[in-house]
Amino acid sequence: MATVPATPPVVPASPFRRSMQARVAQYQRTWYFLRRNTLAMIGLVILLLFAALFVYGLYYPASGSEPQLYCASNSPLPVPETNPCYQASNVVCTYPSNVNSYGPGCIETPIGYPNFIAPTASLIPFTGGAFPLGSLVFPASDAGTTLPFFYNDYSMLVKGTVNSISVSVFIVAVGAGTGLLLGAVSGYYGGWVDEVVMRITDVFLSVPAILLVIAVIIVGKTVGLTSFTETLELIVAAFIIVWWPLYARIVRSQALVVREQRYVEAAKASGAGGGRILTRHVIPNSVYPVFVQMSLDVGSIPLLLAAITFIGFILFPYPLIPEWGSIAAAGTEVLPVVLTHCGVAKATCFLPWWQILFPGLAIFFFAISVNFFADGLRDALDPRLRR
Amino acid sequence: MRMWVYVVRRAALVVPVVIGVMTVLFVLISALPVGTRACSFFHPSGKQNPCDPTIPCPTDPSKLCPNPAYVAAVNALGLNKPIFVQWAIYVGNALTFNWGYVAQGSALGTGAQGFGLPPLAGQSVASVLWQFLPYTVELALLSLLFILIISLPLGNLSAVYRNRPVDQASRIMSFSGFAIPTFLLGTLALAAVTFALGGPATKSVLCGGTSTVFQDFYGSWPQPPCAPLFGTTNLNPIGYPNWLAGGYISSPTGFPTIDAMIHGQYYLAADTLLRIVLPALVIAYGTVAVLLRFVRNSMLEVMNQDYIRTARAKGLPESTVIKKHAGRNSLNVTITVLGLTFAGFITGFPVIEVVFNLWGVGRLYAYSVVGPARDWDFAVLFGTTLLFTYLVVAANIIVDVLYAYLDPRVRLG
Repeated sequence: MATVPATPPVVPASPFRRSMQARVAQYQRTWYFLRRNTLAMIGLVILLLFAALFVYGLYYPASGSEPQLYCASNSPLPVPETNPCYQASNVVCTYPSNVNSYGPGCIETPIGYPNFIAPTASLIPFTGGAFPLGSLVFPASDAGTTLPFFYNDYSMLVKGTVNSISVSVFIVAVGAGTGLLLGAVSGYYGGWVDEVVMRITDVFLSVPAILLVIAVIIVGKTVGLTSFTETLELIVAAFIIVWWPLYARIVRSQALVVREQRYVEAAKASGAGGGRILTRHVIPNSVYPVFVQMSLDVGSIPLLLAAITFIGFILFPYPLIPEWGSIAAAGTEVLPVVLTHCGVAKATCFLPWWQILFPGLAIFFFAISVNFFADGLRDALDPRLRR
Repeated sequence: MRMWVYVVRRAALVVPVVIGVMTVLFVLISALPVGTRACSFFHPSGKQNPCDPTIPCPTDPSKLCPNPAYVAAVNALGLNKPIFVQWAIYVGNALTFNWGYVAQGSALGTGAQGFGLPPLAGQSVASVLWQFLPYTVELALLSLLFILIISLPLGNLSAVYRNRPVDQASRIMSFSGFAIPTFLLGTLALAAVTFALGGPATKSVLCGGTSTVFQDFYGSWPQPPCAPLFGTTNLNPIGYPNWLAGGYISSPTGFPTIDAMIHGQYYLAADTLLRIVLPALVIAYGTVAVLLRFVRNSMLEVMNQDYIRTARAKGLPESTVIKKHAGRNSLNVTITVLGLTFAGFITGFPVIEVVFNLWGVGRLYAYSVVGPARDWDFAVLFGTTLLFTYLVVAANIIVDVLYAYLDPRVRLG
């Protein structure tokens, strides 16, 4: 039996290992301050739950790898006998595989997305829907047909989580990255670069952001970008175009302060180039307000998408809308009709509350947890704010 | 620097910004198909349709002839000229309020989608927007009032009682106001008030119905088809406020409340005002969330200043110190932030006007993008964007001038 050495072998302290030790200690310190902040920890827990839901949504079983046709409705309107849904109302439409066109009762789901349509048993408007698997209601006019569409709340929410979170995180990451870079360069170097960048941000900050986003999306759709993935890309592009100037402005005002600091002077004196000063001094020291703004924006992008859908702009090609805001907005949009209906005939009144409540709660908790966590993180990272 | 010099100088800075915004919009517009541009930004004389390049020949309808209105549109907009010329023509048109015309085929043009509006096809966008603007301005002013009334005292309170229950409560309120979708909050508030008042209005007492006056105020889902015109028995088929879109009665100022007062209709004036109280509160709730943070922070900063200690040391009562010494000085930051949030705040209007069934610019905007692609109205879309830009720019000037007035260092330094 080999003898176990009494003390572990001493690893020679390489420069890399020493620098890593300092860094780990820094992370431990940040974590220590973060842990003491109750609100930040609550935010972190909720965010981890969202992350779990995101991963679950990524692997949520899709019913087939190819586009399939599903029966969308058994609305109060009679389903024509020629419609396959007439025969088997809760199964995949039984079209021959080589038929391209489909009837008004059937919809096509894109590749990789599951059957969003609830079983027909719960599809009777305003009366069906078991918690939390209620079917979703969409205003008939939006679909461009006379038939309302129904979806499964649960699968829409799960897939909606993936879309909402990935879209907002991606937009904010790219927007903030661009703004950070341009703002830091423009603040640090000044001169004509600064002039040009700041005039551009002036222009973009004078147009109400959401109107410009809608204008970009609508022009993109007119030009012909109408499929589901193209719409997602269009939304991301529109938001990034509109979003970076705010970050550039924030970072620039910080960079103006930072470049006058002694440590920048010291770095210059010891021969550091512009690139090194930017990446090592200016950007790290002007990044905290960006965190705050990022946290606000990540939470607000689902809200803005919801608002766009609510005013009646059809964001995604119907009938597929796996996105929190759109689901809630569509539910809210039919609410007046339902409530008027309730006033007339109280017996048959059934509010699609699950359609509004669950996506609404998702938006609310996502926005609020990102905010709490980012606030805590900023306090923990910035020594001036730790008290 | 004299005050007026400062104002003129500040106003001159606006020109490049406005031209820049127009350039951005022009880039978007120039991506549109030529037919759409001809359709939306040119108004032919007579009943011709400028949208299509060809029309059935007048002599032989079975053949297609070039469309004279389309050719005229292409010439007028410079669509066959270099892009710089097109840009110059667009900027010229945009500056002279020649913002295009409501298209023939759009939802607003045909009166489709059941808006209750008469078909607006062929009307100049600027004049249509001008008709709808005053109501939005009333809504904006009232919400501004609420925002200031709520956020200033609350921000000061939470700064003075830092980390105490008042502060925590206002912090939670500010977070939740930010995180709840406006349309959700608006709809829920409207539903709550409507049902607290006994259900949706069917027909108000004034129209011979049984709904109470209060139900008529809020229980309008959709608007009761009958709202009384001034002193007449005409029924209003459009919605509220009825004289805006219909032109049923003279409207000297355009502002519904003031017009009603001028005509001596105090009931309608009160009605108009009461209808926008709830939407204004909902808008205020969302904006207060942003403002509160800044008011609190700037107040905290001011409270640490030396002159506050001096004021306390010389024995002034705490209320005077907070109100006069700290409050006045933190006002500057508040006004700046208010100007910055104005852009976000007026973009809430389309949503809130749709929720509360108000006929303002935002509602018009919402209807220009509603529905499938054939219903979109690009002239109204881009016109509203320009109008909102003007509002934001004007608000920024006002804020800066106010700032200079409150803080002499700005205009003197």
